Amino acid sequence: MNPEQAQLSKRKWLKAVLPMALLLLLAAASASFLPKSVKGSVTCTPSPCPTATDPGPRPLPAGAGGFLKTLSANETQIEPSITAEFDRVHDVIVTSPTDGGLGPVFNSNSCASCHAYPAVGGSSPPTNPLFGVYQYNGATNTMPSFESSTGPILEARFINTPGTTIPDGNVHQLFTITGRTDAAGCSVAQPNFTQAAADGDLVLRQVTPTFGDGLIEVVRNSAIVANMEANQTQKASLGITGHPNYSGNDGSIMRFGWKAQVRSTLLMAALQMNVEMGVTNETYPTEINQTPGCLFNPVPETSTNFTPGILTEMFPDDRARTEYFIQWMAPPTPAKPTAATKNGLTQFTNVGCVYCHTTSFTTPPTSRPALANTTISLYSDLIVHHMGPGLADGLPQGQAGPDEFRTSPLWGIGQRLWFLHDGRTNNIVTAIEDHYSVGNSTYVSSEANQTVINFNNLSKTNQQDLVDFVRSL
Amino acid sequence: MSRPAVVHGQGSCPIAPCPTATDPGPRPLPAAAGTFYPALTKNQSAITSRLTQIFTEVNFVAGGPLVKTVGLGPRFNSNSCNSCHAYPAVGGSSSPTNPLFGIYQLMGATNTMPYFITTNGPTMVARFPYLSDGVTPDGSVHQMFTISNRTDAPGCTQEVQPNFTQAQANNDIIFRQVTPTFGVGLVELIPETAILANMNANLTLKASLGITGHPNSSDDGTIARFGWKAQHKSMMTFSGEAYTVEEGVSDEAFPSENDETYPSCLPPFPVPPGTNKTKGVPDDRNDTGEAPKTGVNFPGDLERFSLFMRFLQPPTPVAPTTSTANGFAVFQSIGCNMCHNVSFTTPASSIAALSNQTATLYSDLLVHDMGPGDADNVTQGAASGDEFRTAPLWGIGQRYFFMHDARTNNIVTAIEDHYSVGNGVYPNSEANQTVINFNNLPQTIGPDGNTQQQDLINFLRSL
Repeated sequence: MNPEQAQLSKRKWLKAVLPMALLLLLAAASASFLPKSVKGSVTCTPSPCPTATDPGPRPLPAGAGGFLKTLSANETQIEPSITAEFDRVHDVIVTSPTDGGLGPVFNSNSCASCHAYPAVGGSSPPTNPLFGVYQYNGATNTMPSFESSTGPILEARFINTPGTTIPDGNVHQLFTITGRTDAAGCSVAQPNFTQAAADGDLVLRQVTPTFGDGLIEVVRNSAIVANMEANQTQKASLGITGHPNYSGNDGSIMRFGWKAQVRSTLLMAALQMNVEMGVTNETYPTEINQTPGCLFNPVPETSTNFTPGILTEMFPDDRARTEYFIQWMAPPTPAKPTAATKNGLTQFTNVGCVYCHTTSFTTPPTSRPALANTTISLYSDLIVHHMGPGLADGLPQGQAGPDEFRTSPLWGIGQRLWFLHDGRTNNIVTAIEDHYSVGNSTYVSSEANQTVINFNNLSKTNQQDLVDFVRSL
Repeated sequence: MSRPAVVHGQGSCPIAPCPTATDPGPRPLPAAAGTFYPALTKNQSAITSRLTQIFTEVNFVAGGPLVKTVGLGPRFNSNSCNSCHAYPAVGGSSSPTNPLFGIYQLMGATNTMPYFITTNGPTMVARFPYLSDGVTPDGSVHQMFTISNRTDAPGCTQEVQPNFTQAQANNDIIFRQVTPTFGVGLVELIPETAILANMNANLTLKASLGITGHPNSSDDGTIARFGWKAQHKSMMTFSGEAYTVEEGVSDEAFPSENDETYPSCLPPFPVPPGTNKTKGVPDDRNDTGEAPKTGVNFPGDLERFSLFMRFLQPPTPVAPTTSTANGFAVFQSIGCNMCHNVSFTTPASSIAALSNQTATLYSDLLVHDMGPGDADNVTQGAASGDEFRTAPLWGIGQRYFFMHDARTNNIVTAIEDHYSVGNGVYPNSEANQTVINFNNLPQTIGPDGNTQQQDLINFLRSL
């Protein structure tokens, strides 16, 4: 089919399916703000519905976790220190340069609590750790209704400042230190998430894994752009475009986070320490919430340790330790290919998944030899794409629009428990179907629509092989 | 770009009556800035000379004498922090003699000097507000120089400088001069609550002057406060950006080279035996991979730059005189201090020298509409094309050039340039009424032998 024919048949198809899609959207909207999915019996748009079933996450042992094997002896030597930092449970009061600093507002008290599965550095575990955190040490928090004990860890952003039409976009932390025995006298209220949801201002995002991030951050911008500009004919016929989220700082391509809004592991570590735990650091040195009576520590709460080392140089702070932990995590190891998964990769390529979920990039020469000249099979083009009204979260970040998301890297997805930015499904077939969404007056159609149609029209075997391939990653 | 033609002292100004005060010019050296806090701990003081060394190091493309001094380019504005942050002391702003003339053709580089850089003019960087279509926002820095043909970049010959003359012809180029770093450690720590409380104070007076203003925000939702548009949160993000943008030294915050077009202009470069290699990106990083120093992991240059700047004391003003004391009163009575807020106090800090200090910076750390006359059409975060951060005035007594694009070296002209009437694109400058108040100050000579206008100018030059 040439692009023109494809365009024609797409239009015909849209005419037929649009009314049905709208009905389904309405039904979904009235039911619940998170579409339900039931593993093994997938409802879908468009028909024919897929027949493949999700075999579910591959069982432990973890196919990920641990550091790059190629780190130098000196780097390897500090692995215990950086692992301890990532695992550290922060209390409120700072008693040494490497502890404390939690709050006044926070989502959790440790990096590893959320970046947990299938190994430290990963994403949400099967049991939501926040239920062990929210009232820890006497805290009087209530649990927001969107968290469930066996659901994904979700953080909240507000589209607009509560009660206004002023754009907000920031994370609004789930919990406060009020009532904790180490925060005597502090009284600060949790945000009103119910009201924000009622106002249509509530956006939820789940945890992204960190495996292989040090390799992703050094991929050349020019490689990302060259890949974006390749295969234009096929992409046009599928309706795929996409563009980078360029940093307003240095003009390079940002690549971490659901909207590719963070450039590097340094910035990610620093940002998350303050945003997720309330631990101020030398990059983000001021508390997000400054309610009087709730500020217990000198700022920034983690800072360079000036204790003289060899040659009177100084030790880095916790932000640097967290950065190196993320930067040095090895990529996930996929399962050994089988005949089925090999065919699945072929189908993955044939139906067009590969035009956003780019199979691999190669890293350039790097100053840290462990990261140099490595082919990384991440299955992402590291750019953002329109995903239609069905996935749109209404929240722009940098050059990523309110309906645009970064192509999620698929490496490690074989052991992941929840999918899509808001963790809306644990069924990978449903996740594929959720890539389909017809445009409306606010947002254009999802760039994945034709690929989902192609997937749904595959033979039963080819569909299942594709799903099995994805679960092998 | 239409700018009001202002010739100071010659009777021309944007709003009559024109001021009669004259600028006494920058106070001469010795520098009243550039020293470290005496209250630093022994361990902190012990590393200050090393920090200064890092801030003043000259970066090579490859093969330099030190492991920490490689990575310049492919594109760059200068080869050292200190070359631009130079006056009146290391860490400051533009020196009276432009350092770029000693840099642009160093080591065989074949750069030509852009038209806007002059030997006795300010050190500036160029941004293009729009892409070549003239519509799509760009706003990024376009580095003046490249490493093409430098002897320490063997094989790199293809990088070409941007066409600044063409950009000027397209009215698509703006300039920003160097901001000083004295006292930034205090500015980093000023509580958001204090900035907002100050913003929400004196609302009646501000409304009568036409002053509003708002914060620019950072990725973590807190108030950003550095740079001409308050686009930076901290010395870490500023160092991270400046290292790769100004010098082309990619770093751990921004680990890409600033131009990847020509593989022959990217590391690794062959180097003479016995000199230091560039292995690849980021050019600068924590030393862990190489330093055989048991158990110790050394910070990268970003951390060192940040500590250097954070440890620099604010400038010391001269002792008040009758004239400057009166000038300070006038500064407040006509409304300057409604944006150039006199001081903030820092909270308790993990660096004790920065704890509970009064930072007399003369800024509210907010951005304000400055009208079409100042507008540079570059949006940064929540700061729009005509909004600028209230520039802190501490140290201005020894500064040579004023306003974001260093359009004047005359502080009276700088005041007049705060006045600008709105057009179809941008509103009036929020400073208009205050400039009118300044120009209308009585011209009578006071007991100190000066007009009130002159007292105000003398006060500013005392900072």
